[in-house]
Amino acid sequence: MNNLLELSEVTKSYDTGLPPAVDQVSFSCLEGQILAVIGSSGSGKTTLLRIIAGLEMPDLGRVTLKGETMNSQNECVPPESRDCSLVFQDYALFPNMTVQQNVAYGKASKNNSELIDRLFDLTKIGDLKNRYPHQISGGEQQRVALVRALATQPSLLLLDEPLSHLDPELRNNVRCELLNIFRVTNTTALFVSHDTEDALTMADQVVVMQNGKAVQIGSPIDVYSNPSNSYAAMLFGKTNLLPRELIPCAPYSFLDEDSGKELVSIRPHQWMVPTSKGNGNMPSFTGAIRSVNPKGAYQEIVMETETTLLTIHFPRVFSAAIGDPLTVVFNKDS
Amino acid sequence: MAEVLWHLGSSSDNWNHLKETVLGRYLKGSVILVFGTLSLSICVGVSTAWLVACCEFPGRRFFEWALILPLTIPTFIAAYAYFDFLDKLTPALIWVRLNISPDAMITFGDILRYAVTILVLSFVLYPYVYLMARSAFSRQGSRYLEASRTLGHGPFSTFWRVALPLARPAIVAGASLVVMETLNDYGAVQHFGVPTFTTGIFRTWTALNDMPGALRLAAFLMLFILFIILIEKLLRSGARYHGDKTTGLAFQRYSLGKIKTFAAIFCCIIPLAFGFIIPVTRLGIWAYETLENNFDKTHFIKLTLNSVGLAVAASLAVAITALFLVYVARYFKSYMVHVSNRLAILGYSVPGAVIAMGILFVSGQINDVFDFIITGSLLTLGFAYLIRFLAVAWQSIDSGMERNCEQYNEASKSLGASAFISLFKVNIPLLWNAVLVAGLLVFIDIMKELPLTLILRPFDFETLSTRTFDLAYQSQIPESSVPALCIIIAILAPVIWLNRKMESE
Repeated sequence: MNNLLELSEVTKSYDTGLPPAVDQVSFSCLEGQILAVIGSSGSGKTTLLRIIAGLEMPDLGRVTLKGETMNSQNECVPPESRDCSLVFQDYALFPNMTVQQNVAYGKASKNNSELIDRLFDLTKIGDLKNRYPHQISGGEQQRVALVRALATQPSLLLLDEPLSHLDPELRNNVRCELLNIFRVTNTTALFVSHDTEDALTMADQVVVMQNGKAVQIGSPIDVYSNPSNSYAAMLFGKTNLLPRELIPCAPYSFLDEDSGKELVSIRPHQWMVPTSKGNGNMPSFTGAIRSVNPKGAYQEIVMETETTLLTIHFPRVFSAAIGDPLTVVFNKDS
Repeated sequence: MAEVLWHLGSSSDNWNHLKETVLGRYLKGSVILVFGTLSLSICVGVSTAWLVACCEFPGRRFFEWALILPLTIPTFIAAYAYFDFLDKLTPALIWVRLNISPDAMITFGDILRYAVTILVLSFVLYPYVYLMARSAFSRQGSRYLEASRTLGHGPFSTFWRVALPLARPAIVAGASLVVMETLNDYGAVQHFGVPTFTTGIFRTWTALNDMPGALRLAAFLMLFILFIILIEKLLRSGARYHGDKTTGLAFQRYSLGKIKTFAAIFCCIIPLAFGFIIPVTRLGIWAYETLENNFDKTHFIKLTLNSVGLAVAASLAVAITALFLVYVARYFKSYMVHVSNRLAILGYSVPGAVIAMGILFVSGQINDVFDFIITGSLLTLGFAYLIRFLAVAWQSIDSGMERNCEQYNEASKSLGASAFISLFKVNIPLLWNAVLVAGLLVFIDIMKELPLTLILRPFDFETLSTRTFDLAYQSQIPESSVPALCIIIAILAPVIWLNRKMESE
């Protein structure tokens, strides 16, 4: 597969006194791939998306789409001339137009009536054609925005926090729907999200943004299990950052810039109680339980050892009380 | 207003004569003037608003605030600044008489009279549309305009299909202000000799000494206004959307090519030049010459003190009344109070001449019943300002209270504080800015006001605007430039400050 999108050393600053919003970011996206840009608020992911869409001009660097340079210091292709569509975080459906008019609005949508009908069927919003955006629910608006963008048959579909306005139950359904639509329409998509679950379930490749920099690029499972720094590790939920010497058998580690130590990231579910058969050379930790918090299907236990605090996820059936002694070992296979 | 409408069917000695000779002309004149001024103001206001809000070109930031400067020039003063404009067209009129016919010259003269009046009014009234449209386009920027761009539409298509329909409620609101101001104008139409209802009311009352006839004309004008309000409500209620949300992100404006940049600068310079630079320059030159020759400094200081003192006192009274009305309506949430508030702010839609006629009639009745003369007092004039400009202060304070105080009033109530305590300890400190804005808006309007002051001022009491009018009426237009310029200078600072505040919000 060919590179559809390529970013090279892209930098953007809003205020000369402040660090850049996007700082020398480089990555590429293959045709047909789904790429997620994740990071916390203010990490620069939305600015990056707007640069790709042509809504912001980078100060430095180059954006290439289908081999054609979009942004550089000397040239800039305006957003209306780029072969990409953007689904906005708040959908930006035109309130003066019906669903049908919104979907047909795109300049390249005019001759795509068959595709539009297919997309209406696929997203199950065909009955809403004559309604105005304020007359439909948030989930329906999200689908209309998606169909509007897809109706232009863009080479690259950009999505800004596509699921952030949806409630948790709807999010799961929409994730599956989105994946299905991307697959059926053979769409190359790039989305930004602060929710790592979106990236884990939908993306082929993940770019982790921190303070404007792309600190890690890789497959979702790679980034999850082999984070490049403590920020990337904690982005995917709770984790135990332990010195390498305590878990020498851990398959991955990274150098922490703050402490200068080599750390490993052990997720709370990667612990187990020692079995009667023994646990080989797996390191074990003994301490006292400080807190027990039921979390539905499992319970979160915080255990204090002589050197550190460990967060552990055990099934609800495991009997644990505050003050009880506990020994856990690293479960390499988990 | 009820008093005025009551006279719709009253009898008058001259009414039949008025009906047969001038009523049709007043109606025709008012309709042509309103339609012409409205169309041109919308064209200028919307196009310049689009350019400064959504396009990038050299001087855009300057034009952004400079285009509101014509707002500082009262319509009658703009007319005086162009007093000789029609004279310069006399050779064309003579040519028409000699080469076509005397009747054609009369028709051509009428056309020119209307055209010049429409041009002059439009170039000082377009900022009402400009301000509303600019605000609407700016709000759309990072949301709908960007969405349109990413869907492949260029600026022209985006303007017609997205920006303009979404800005329609704001444009209608600005346009309705232009209509009200056009119908309220007396000085400019009187100067250019355009027959309208307002000039008719003055003429019937002063020249024919027929108060009932003037009241009946005022009643017809009220009907005309009610018809326009109805159209405005219909136009605004037709909008089935709310396009006010913003993302707070900077909007990448359309960059223009060389020819388009030149055209954009030209589009912005023309209204600024005709609406502000040329009139102010001419007034400045005349004022300089007047100051060198015969200028009564003591009298001028008295005039300025009268004007500013009256405007400050009245704007304070109007702002306090508006604060009280808004607070009562929002705190007690009573339907009756809400309706009475809505009725109270209708005065802004009514031309000054009509309000003046109504107040004169009511105050005359009070004089008769209580044997206490209030006609021709500053109290009556202040009350007239309150009726006319209450809406200006009310809107500003109401939106401020809606944004800042609603939830705090609930909290204050739940903590057992009385309405009085809530007003002084919660609302007034939070609304200080909104009250200041309201006061300044009313101050600007009162400084520019002419018909109300002209009719209701106490005997021998002059303000800068009445002095300007009197001098111009006596054909001493260059001499009228000093008070005229003084009005503009007094309004300039509050207008610029208010625009900055609006931009920052």
